Amino acid sequence: MSTAIVETINVTREIAWLPWAVSYFFLIGLSCGAFLLSLPGVLLQRPGWEAISRLALLAALVCGLTAPVALLADLHQPGRFWHFYAYFTPSSWMSWGAFFIPVYLGGLLVYAWLAFRPLLAEHGRSGGRLARLAALLACGGLESRRALIGAAALAFAGAALVALYTGAELMVVRARPLWHTPLLPVQLAITALAGAVGLTLLLKRLAGDADASATARLARTLVATQCAALAVGALWLLLGLGGLSAVHAEALAEVAPSANWQLAALWAAGATVATLLLAWKRPASGVLIGLLALHSAWMMRWSIFIGGQEVPKTGAGYYSYQLPLGPEGLMGIVGTAGLWVFVFILLTTVLPLDRLATRTRSSH
Amino acid sequence: MKHPDLTHSSAAPSPSRRAFLRGIPVLTAAIAAPAPALAASAGHHWAMLVDVRRCIGCQACTVSCMQENAVPEGSFRTVVSTYSVALEGERQPAGTYVLPRLCNHCDNPPCVPVCPVGATFKRADGVVLVNSERCVGCAYCVQACPYDARFINHDTNKADKCTFCAHRVDAGLLPACVETCVGGARVFGDLNDPDSELRRRLDAAAGQVKVLKPAQNTDPQVFYIGLDERFAGKVDGQATLWKPRAAHP
Ligand code: SF4
Ligand code: SF4
Repeated sequence: MSTAIVETINVTREIAWLPWAVSYFFLIGLSCGAFLLSLPGVLLQRPGWEAISRLALLAALVCGLTAPVALLADLHQPGRFWHFYAYFTPSSWMSWGAFFIPVYLGGLLVYAWLAFRPLLAEHGRSGGRLARLAALLACGGLESRRALIGAAALAFAGAALVALYTGAELMVVRARPLWHTPLLPVQLAITALAGAVGLTLLLKRLAGDADASATARLARTLVATQCAALAVGALWLLLGLGGLSAVHAEALAEVAPSANWQLAALWAAGATVATLLLAWKRPASGVLIGLLALHSAWMMRWSIFIGGQEVPKTGAGYYSYQLPLGPEGLMGIVGTAGLWVFVFILLTTVLPLDRLATRTRSSH
Repeated sequence: MKHPDLTHSSAAPSPSRRAFLRGIPVLTAAIAAPAPALAASAGHHWAMLVDVRRCIGCQACTVSCMQENAVPEGSFRTVVSTYSVALEGERQPAGTYVLPRLCNHCDNPPCVPVCPVGATFKRADGVVLVNSERCVGCAYCVQACPYDARFINHDTNKADKCTFCAHRVDAGLLPACVETCVGGARVFGDLNDPDSELRRRLDAAAGQVKVLKPAQNTDPQVFYIGLDERFAGKVDGQATLWKPRAAHP
């Protein structure tokens, strides 16, 4: 930082994408990642993946149903959300996103319903809590493989489009060098998948599923995602340091002098390495690596969104953000988490966790 | 003395400011053509010239803009960024550099294509505006503007920024900041009118005219004379300690 210039009067621009946006990107990322994890067991019926994939599908549902609420809350005019559909603007990735989200969620809901119908019927017959609702939802509980494949294909296309638009929406913002990198969408996708593995590990423990081979399988997936995350991070740094890419050099020059950023970068690298080592050397530490992976996914988004907006575009130094306690800050995050828990409880009442986690589906 | 003739400008700055201006030689390379060539159409193309050498940093423009446009306290459509700059080889240790900032009404505005509902648009006369009936307050335009010219207005919950006082201009008046500019640093006018003061001053200063962040290819329509390179992009210096929102919650 040059000490020859001291700014005496200037505007401090506030953060305009609030923690709601972090919550949205976190949840929609987890949902898409968890949907991918649901495919091997639910769709492809790969042995050893059944319980993992059903739990992952539950995670995809809970996160997918919560995410749009956070997105809506980030609008300063939430009541005008219909404008997205009335005034489609093809030059804007956000405008496309408004159409991709329903494609993904629609596909996901149908896919999940088709996948869970037999389980819903089973719960309906067992006479537990909300059994009548479960029976009603099951609609006879038939399995239809062809419909399942179709719905999975739709959800897959939707998930790919959501991953594309969320990444591109940030990447095109040239005014923010930190966002304006083609590596950002890749980093978002990798950390989302890692976070989804983490969430599935937590659900697995919550379900009381002690199947060590499944935990090991998830730990191996986590080793792969963390290796990929570190490789992309290293590439970003190399491109910036080596001056190979002007965009990355600019991004690096912008954040490198900040002590906050140095700490965040060290923290992110440290957490990723720790997750990698634990998942590799002690694959049985399911809850710990799960929490670490979720934490990394959240921190990465927080630093990119909130940290990125702390860099003035014309002014000197940095803006400093303090998390407000109200709905635009902490209460928003807590509220989103509360909604997540509510949806989770609702879904696991008609689809009890232990039933999802049983290794092979009991026949009916 | 609203628009004093440039040839008599020696009367304007104070001695200390002149000393400072000597300390910061005005670089004159920059952009070659000061402004787009005359458009084929006979319509207006509104633009502004800021002669930094004439700005006295009084913030009269800042205040009149807030009054005229009911800008909420703590938010700004225009401001005169003020810097204390160390001087070498001068009797005084430091000088002041002032830089009036506002929306550049870019001819290639990155805030327009990102708007998901087409609420931000550029008029045929060059003015970039927000349709507040349509804006959903998503703040994507706030992110996309390379000049931090936009903000979310907490009274309206919509995107806000300088409009070149389009409501005044359409009624044949000057923007409020131009009307109140004490030093005569802000000149507003029609680029397509060869007789306009704006056009004449731009042509007279050809070769000295610069814009902010030219590498962003936004094609700003706010032009500067006396723009020091060190202030044309993100300023490398110590940040201001005054936080408007913290002062006016
Ligand atoms: S200065 Fe910013 S808000 Fe104004 S037209 Fe250019 S990009 Fe848009
Ligand atoms: S805040 Fe309003 S003007 Fe800006 S991009 Fe969103 S909808 Fe468009």
